[in-house]
Amino acid sequence: MPGSSGGCLSVLCLLGSFYLLAGDPGGCCRKVSLQYNPGLNSSSVNLLHVRAVGCNNTLHYVWSSIGAPTALLVYTDSESSALRVNWTKLLSPSPAGAIVVEPAGSVLYSTAVVFSRVFEYNGANTSDLTAVHEDNFYPTYDLADFSWESVNRTLNETALSATFQGVSVSDPKGAFRNGSISFRVTAYEESSRDTLLPRLLHTANSSKVEFIVNRVAPRGNGSRFALEIITVEEKGGRKTLESLRSINDEYTPTIFEVAQLVSDARNDSAGPSFLQWKATAYSSQNAMREDSYHCRYYPLQTANRTLPRLSIAHAYFGEALASQHSVAAINISFGSEDNEAYEEKGYLSWSALIGFGTPPKDTFSPLVMAIMVVALGTPVVLLVAGSFVVLLVQKKRLEEMAAKDHLA
Amino acid sequence: MCFLGFGSYFCYDNPAALQTQVQGDMKVDTTTFMALYAWYSWPNVILCFFGGFLIDRVFGIRWGTIIFSIFVCIGQVIFALGALFNAFWLMELGRFVFGIGGESLAVAQNTYAVSWFKGKELNLVFGLQLSMARIGSTVNMNVMGLIYSRVQEMLRSTGYTTLGVTLMIGGVTCIFSLICALVLAYLDRRAEKILCKEQGKTGEVIKLTDVKDFSLSLWLIFIICVCYYVAVFPFIGLGKVFFIEKFKFSSKEASAINSIVYIISAPMSPAFGFLVDKLGRNITWVLCAVVTTLASCIMLAFTFWNPWIAMCLMGVAYSLLACALWPMVAFVVPDHQLGTAYGFMQSIQNLGLAIIAIAAGMILDSRGYLFLEVFFSACMCYMGQVILKPLSVTGGDLNLSSRKREKLQKLAAAEAENQEKLRCQNEDDLAKLQPQNEFSLRNRYLSRLGAQLPGNYAACHLSALAHKSVLK
Repeated sequence: MPGSSGGCLSVLCLLGSFYLLAGDPGGCCRKVSLQYNPGLNSSSVNLLHVRAVGCNNTLHYVWSSIGAPTALLVYTDSESSALRVNWTKLLSPSPAGAIVVEPAGSVLYSTAVVFSRVFEYNGANTSDLTAVHEDNFYPTYDLADFSWESVNRTLNETALSATFQGVSVSDPKGAFRNGSISFRVTAYEESSRDTLLPRLLHTANSSKVEFIVNRVAPRGNGSRFALEIITVEEKGGRKTLESLRSINDEYTPTIFEVAQLVSDARNDSAGPSFLQWKATAYSSQNAMREDSYHCRYYPLQTANRTLPRLSIAHAYFGEALASQHSVAAINISFGSEDNEAYEEKGYLSWSALIGFGTPPKDTFSPLVMAIMVVALGTPVVLLVAGSFVVLLVQKKRLEEMAAKDHLA
Repeated sequence: MCFLGFGSYFCYDNPAALQTQVQGDMKVDTTTFMALYAWYSWPNVILCFFGGFLIDRVFGIRWGTIIFSIFVCIGQVIFALGALFNAFWLMELGRFVFGIGGESLAVAQNTYAVSWFKGKELNLVFGLQLSMARIGSTVNMNVMGLIYSRVQEMLRSTGYTTLGVTLMIGGVTCIFSLICALVLAYLDRRAEKILCKEQGKTGEVIKLTDVKDFSLSLWLIFIICVCYYVAVFPFIGLGKVFFIEKFKFSSKEASAINSIVYIISAPMSPAFGFLVDKLGRNITWVLCAVVTTLASCIMLAFTFWNPWIAMCLMGVAYSLLACALWPMVAFVVPDHQLGTAYGFMQSIQNLGLAIIAIAAGMILDSRGYLFLEVFFSACMCYMGQVILKPLSVTGGDLNLSSRKREKLQKLAAAEAENQEKLRCQNEDDLAKLQPQNEFSLRNRYLSRLGAQLPGNYAACHLSALAHKSVLK
């Protein structure tokens, strides 16, 4: 049936081209450069500046472990905007104004994400953070009190990645003797998809951060971890928590849910900012499907939230941060009753995208489309064609009979 | 007959019911634990083919059944001993021996069913067997844990001894099955005597090379069997996470919905078996089942509709398919090849399941559930289109309604009866040549003399006269 196969092919081509068009929401490519502690000749503190220059705009990501690990995101509409850090001020007790992006007029939008605390609790009975009894919580790890290794060592200019690795300073039980908590940061120059699970689709306007708990000794049986994230929005701005459920788990097998924190829509070219993650974490460095931990998030808390007293967010947004900016916090817990306990593998990694613009969204891959069209479409085509042929034959027969009658 | 398979199905899932206990007591991880199932299933890819062949050729069905039941018993005992002596390799050996018996026993069960019920309530019997199997595994799932904790209380200790004792208790069901096998053999013998039918003496003997002469329809039935089972079972095996992640089910709900297919099939398959018996048209039913399963696959893959709908549909479709498909073999295969045909079917089903289970795992790892479901749906589609159509053409009387089938059967039966009569008569003639007891000698003598014999001494019944008791 040449007609139907031709039809299938054309439909496929159409779908394919649509896919290609839709597949690149990130716009143009960017030129990304990493800078470690710009203007400081020491590696006792960590500040990583990621500068991503695109057409007519520049994105600045400032990652730092001074105080609580923080990502500062600044969108400027100039290709030459630059970051200035006043180190003496930054390392003083009142760091307000120590970090600025110049020229100040080019800054369209800035926001910050602070990774403030890690909870550890006994999740043997329930993994639901809100249902866990207070007694089942172990003392919280305050990430601002961690001591962080030099990022310079882990800086990779070609992969555009760096790792902030820290251990708890007050560690009476020796949980961090062999282990650490780290944040691995990756910047992107263009849109594409990670090769490792959870294979997040990223744009040139976003970066990835991985939260990794590696060989930190659990403080009891059935230990689970949870991460507290605090976001800072400019005056009047607000972040909303969205959950997107899709039928498509092609890229991240068994995971059907994407969660994202998105700021209000904007009129300028910056667009909203987002923090996006898939509802999964992994218990292995070479993540496989069966290493998947169920990842659960809790409602956004906006009332009376404050930032940790130490964070570069203070240095950028200034002292008025608490009063003039809106601060929201979210908890994310890893592992459920069905998953193996943390102590079995002693490893946990969770990835999130952070960036500007509309959050990327997965679409069906051409392969699935092709199979669906060919496997499920062909029977339908055959059915229609078959009934058509039957109709034709019957009509012919009727005509012949009519002709015979006529002759008779 | 239905209880014949009970023991083997009950014990087959013993490890699953006691997974945590086994893993805790024997101190093995999940991968090693899964080896218990691998030791059962991989050898069976080949073994049950030979099992079926042996039933046809060497043992005969009665001895075959008894021998395989014994294997099942011994296997379970070794398995339990392995736990008692805390030797995991012994447990694996036990599973292997258990496997030699288990699947071949299922083949024997099918052959029995056909030899007793062909042309009568065959579909119903297959349905009943299926539901018995399901009941076996369900009872096992619920009971073994209880038994374990009771034994634990009694012995006041945990550990491998408790596990061993529990498994021994589970082994009682196997003994029960063995007793069933013995009773069946006795009944079958009696039936044969009464009905004057004999097995294996038709002069046709199956050879292994007969496999290549299986008819096209039989091969198509095999392929349907593999395609269908392969699309349904691996999904159920991998389904729990799907329900948890996609539909946000709790762990318990997910287990419940995952087992609904089996639960539905227990009561539904005898019902459907009865229906198919009454209506005939097996192929149409199979087609219905395939289409329904396809629909439920698509539902699961592309919608967020309550998965209970899809899974219940799948359960109904599965029970319909099982009781319509398996008896079809009996219509396209001569009786003396039945064991081999069923053995072969089970073999390639096992092979298909084993391969697809791995393939499905790989697909899931790399492409996820959506792709898996699409793949299964495609399987179903092609099965429906490419395979069932030629089958309905070549399949001959497979798709006859039961009324037509009955007519045909009556014809065939009449012919068979004639032949049987002839054969009986021949035998009687032969019997005349054999040395006879004094009673029949006297009869012959009397009849030679021309003395009147009572009418019921007619020649056809002469063989019955060999049994004095009949006369009294």
